[in-house]
Amino acid sequence: MSSMPVDRRRVLVGAGALGAAAMLPSPASAKGSVTAAIYPGTWDEAYRSIVAPALKKAKDVDLALEPLFAVDQIAKAQAARGAPPFDAFVLDPGPRASAIERGLFEKFDPSKLANASKVPAGFADAHGIAVNTQIVGIAYNPKKLPKPKSWKDLFAEPYLSRLGLTGFQTTFGTVSLIEISKAYGGSDTDVEPAFVEVKKALPKAAAVMTPASLPGLFQQGQIDICYTNTNNVASLKARGVDIDFAFPEEGAITFITTLHIAKGAENIENAYAYIDAALSAEVQAQLMKPPSSMIPTNKDVVLADLPIKSLDELSKMKTHDWSKINPLRAGWIERFNKEVSK
Amino acid sequence: MASVAATVAPLSRARRDGVEWRLASPLALVYAAFFAAPLLLLLAISFFDDTDLTRVGGSQWIKFFTDPFYLSVIGHTLKLGAVTVLATSVLSFPLALVFCASRTGVQRLLLLIIIMPLLTSVVVRTFAWIVILAREGVINQTLLALGLSATPLPLLQTEFGLVLALTQIEMPLMLLPLITVMRTIDPNVLDASRALGASRWRTFFQVILPLSLPGWVAGSTLVFASSVTAFISQTVIGGGRLVFLPSVIWQQSMVVYNWPFAAVAAVTLLVTVLFGIGLLGALGAHFARR
Repeated sequence: MSSMPVDRRRVLVGAGALGAAAMLPSPASAKGSVTAAIYPGTWDEAYRSIVAPALKKAKDVDLALEPLFAVDQIAKAQAARGAPPFDAFVLDPGPRASAIERGLFEKFDPSKLANASKVPAGFADAHGIAVNTQIVGIAYNPKKLPKPKSWKDLFAEPYLSRLGLTGFQTTFGTVSLIEISKAYGGSDTDVEPAFVEVKKALPKAAAVMTPASLPGLFQQGQIDICYTNTNNVASLKARGVDIDFAFPEEGAITFITTLHIAKGAENIENAYAYIDAALSAEVQAQLMKPPSSMIPTNKDVVLADLPIKSLDELSKMKTHDWSKINPLRAGWIERFNKEVSK
Repeated sequence: MASVAATVAPLSRARRDGVEWRLASPLALVYAAFFAAPLLLLLAISFFDDTDLTRVGGSQWIKFFTDPFYLSVIGHTLKLGAVTVLATSVLSFPLALVFCASRTGVQRLLLLIIIMPLLTSVVVRTFAWIVILAREGVINQTLLALGLSATPLPLLQTEFGLVLALTQIEMPLMLLPLITVMRTIDPNVLDASRALGASRWRTFFQVILPLSLPGWVAGSTLVFASSVTAFISQTVIGGGRLVFLPSVIWQQSMVVYNWPFAAVAAVTLLVTVLFGIGLLGALGAHFARR
């Protein structure tokens, strides 16, 4: 081993050369790139396998995806103070409202997108545009239970003893509990009636779940009914679980997942190209298939295997003002913990 | 003793020269940068009053420690660790005795069975326990089929179910140190005890148990620290009605975005674990002196 003496100086020279190489511009293999934050899991997989190739094909732009939960996206963008580590956000209405409050978005111009005219009214604004819709209602096992009609059915037999409750941690849990409150006389900001019902239900309900354990508990028959979104229903159904979605008569709930351009983003034009690609009918039709089972926002997509026939049905569903919910949510989460804890 | 003296002498010379300090410094630097610094950062974050980290103050600490709910969460977390240590101890001692009394071939087989839980991923283990404990799971199906129970027993999402699952998952952490120490016990000591007329039980309690205490203390420390922080098992098997410190940290940091409060819970969890470990160590030292 003496033929190749390695002394400190040589190592330093080598390391310096490596460092310099890293600083050189990499050979341009594409027209550029865009970095987008994406939810870990289903979203990450779906966007990696469907949106990234579509963007590459359409605009020759490389899509780099950074898997981050909503809270991390906001924390990172805020910590970066105007030099965000990614060009685009993906957010649910709650985090979207707090990001707007903190001024984390570049002003969004829907007219720069070829597909902006394809989304329903109200799905695009000066902050961003919706790429996915979620519908929240009641999931139940049709082999064990008759079809539930109302939110109130959840808290009466035969449903109550098969009911799985979740708290305010998720968007679907929060909006469901708000609608349950309204069925019992509450409002968007008064969820007291839901707490009363949950408290009464505790001795009989099948489970108080963490959202992450919902699919497993449903699959194993620990619970046969719960409030959740259509994505959960579709992915369980695809695995052969007996599960169906029911619209409560008070009205199902809908909310949108939106893409936004980060303030101070490096690749604004490419970010628009990315969002346009994610909105294209071709991409959205693929995202609609299991396992991602995302409800499209592009009206040109022919809906299949979804609980709705047309996107027009969404306009009749309940929506919520998250700028009012956000300030109250931390308190609700804590209160739920306290009410259900043994 | 001569060999011990021979190794001690160069070591003390090395200490005078400060050699071992320099040898340890790379690791010390890594620890300082990637362990001590983040820990101090965590502590610093806990002393902010607001979620945007602008106002310094102790209000998060006051809120945490004046709210009976969070005090009970600390209590539940400590209790979970203690009960799991107790359960693994009761089950581990007989198994360790059987192991030490077995032939080499049997020992190999036992060892494989013992470390099996460590070889499966936490997701598989946790899901397997859902399958076993659920309303339509293995246990309930068996009980119903045998006519031992008319309705399915609630096992999943109960403290009993959680302790059962944690006991299985943490068993190797108790057994391995226990077996290691037990094997070093001189068989002549046991023969002496027997020859002096002590019963098997007396031999166990007065000879084997005290001599294997160091292994038990090491095992208990691992089991306690691991079960108290077992976030996935606690949330998935324990469910929403059993709130432990790890789930408070997760909720406050990932859902509520209240990082100062999450930091208070995290520091509290750290202190809770250290407290438990310290208590076990003191217990071991106390019995060792007797």
